[in-house]
Amino acid sequence: MHYVTRNLLAAAALALLFGCASTSENTAGQETGVQQDATAQEGLIGQPGGEAQSYAYGQAPSQYDAYDATGGTTGAPPSTWGVGQPVAGGGTVSADRIVYFAFDSADIPAEGQAVVAANARSLMSNRQIITQLEGHTDEQGSREYNIALGERRANAVRQSMIATGVAPQQIRVVSYGEERPASSGQSEESYALNRRVEIMY
Amino acid sequence: MLITMKNLFGIMALLLVSRFALAQPLTIDITKGIEGNGIPIAIAPFGGGAPEDIAGIIAANLKRTGKIAPQPAGSPADYSVTGQAQPGGARGYVVRFQLAGAQGAALLNLSFDVPPNQLRPVAHRISDLIYEKLTGEKGLAATRIAYIASNRGFWYLVVADADGQNPRVILRSSQPLMSPSWSPDSGKLAYVSFEGRQPKIIVQDVYSGARRVVSAAPGINGAPSWSPNGQRLAFTLSKDGNPEIYALDLATQSPIRLTNSSAIDTEPVWLPDGSMVFTSDRGGAPQLYRISPGGGQAQRLTFQGDYNARPTISPDGRTIAMVHRRNGRFYIAVLDLQSRQFRVLTNGGLDESPSFAPNGKMIIYSNGQRLKAVSLDGAVKQDFDLRGNGRDPVWAPYGR
Repeated sequence: MHYVTRNLLAAAALALLFGCASTSENTAGQETGVQQDATAQEGLIGQPGGEAQSYAYGQAPSQYDAYDATGGTTGAPPSTWGVGQPVAGGGTVSADRIVYFAFDSADIPAEGQAVVAANARSLMSNRQIITQLEGHTDEQGSREYNIALGERRANAVRQSMIATGVAPQQIRVVSYGEERPASSGQSEESYALNRRVEIMY
Repeated sequence: MLITMKNLFGIMALLLVSRFALAQPLTIDITKGIEGNGIPIAIAPFGGGAPEDIAGIIAANLKRTGKIAPQPAGSPADYSVTGQAQPGGARGYVVRFQLAGAQGAALLNLSFDVPPNQLRPVAHRISDLIYEKLTGEKGLAATRIAYIASNRGFWYLVVADADGQNPRVILRSSQPLMSPSWSPDSGKLAYVSFEGRQPKIIVQDVYSGARRVVSAAPGINGAPSWSPNGQRLAFTLSKDGNPEIYALDLATQSPIRLTNSSAIDTEPVWLPDGSMVFTSDRGGAPQLYRISPGGGQAQRLTFQGDYNARPTISPDGRTIAMVHRRNGRFYIAVLDLQSRQFRVLTNGGLDESPSFAPNGKMIIYSNGQRLKAVSLDGAVKQDFDLRGNGRDPVWAPYGR
């Protein structure tokens, strides 16, 4: 009982912290409430993991509290992802871990091949390391098609690494498509920075 | 113990209310860029002192259709609307309205007993009754839209009224959200969530907030789309090496693979007969294809421009809207499945994610940053003036 109460209190604190409209008593319940630990749930069919908070329509907040309180939001996508930004696990994406691509292409250019080869050597010298290859695209075109294109780019890097001698079990692939741009501009310069695979480990 | 917890929630609710009262509400106006004339109708302000401007809401709704031209009260017009919203009745307010023809004959004369928080919905309902009486088409004022917004490292799934007002954030996540899809009864939304740093397809009950992961296979889990009867969900999985289309029976949880090519196959949507339209680059560039309910040989549908993707089907199953590229610009275009006529509807740029209104007359879409809508004949254009961004809009079916 104490444990349950603690969870409820924690949920209440979180809800306040995040500005959630938890006006229902079942907010902390399994279905509508603060979700459980993400890692414990990952990959399982059933309840989703953490990092997200759902609300019943009738109790949902009527605005996004992360919006600029001054009303000065330009509508730009989040710019807090990408080059040089911290990622889970405490690493950063430095230039020697990014492979860039041409428009509508999943062919690794010459500069990219050098990046892939250098990282492949690191992975081969330490077989315990697992890398996550994150594929990205620019914002042009259909979002879901871009998810597929980002995966194709990440798979191109994966194939190149495996051909070099990296064990397939050392490589995971995920595509974010256009959802996490490194640069939020709408110029060809920004687009070129966004068409990329980030080698995370 | 229970009492203590109840008190706790009471205090929480109070704190939240005060916090929210201070925050600036998000508003979305659809007032810009409306083209076309329509049936003149004089709308008088509703007396009675209700906290909502019911006549104003009705006028805005009717103007947005592009087929009706609201005028101030007393203007010479073919039709007139008068009404009151007064405290009283069993639920708090009594709303009465009358639609009259030029000779003064009453065409509609109705009253509603509503609680105060239903004044806006009742204004939408009255708008639809007037629209249906004057045009013979079903109205859209009482329908809803869903869309994705993001800012500062958070993503939001928002459900709003069709005029963009009354937004409700039904999901907030620190990881990307995309591709919402309404169930045919408009009670559920399927979408893609990257929580856990891997994409998952989740079905969320809009009214309870309950969520269920329906697919979390290795690789892509994307582009969910409900079957017309709501019993199956089509989506894209790349667990076998490259993106392929699957259909999942939601009751038995057994997915069936429908495509088999080494190319990208994604973005499936259902036609009323159970066949499916999807995007594939099997011909070298993305184009739309159709497969029969059991799978088999795909038939190519689009040959215009160099890129056609993200199909969406009109409610009557006759028209496909899509993202279309020519000369490096992206447009919303439509293909009539019977006549094979192909038409570009928008001015182009980064247009994406079209979705039909449930009466089939309008298409909502995004230019990557903002929500817009265009009529199927291209004559009416709307801008949803979001204070923040909006993308991946989907118009809810008629339902509950």
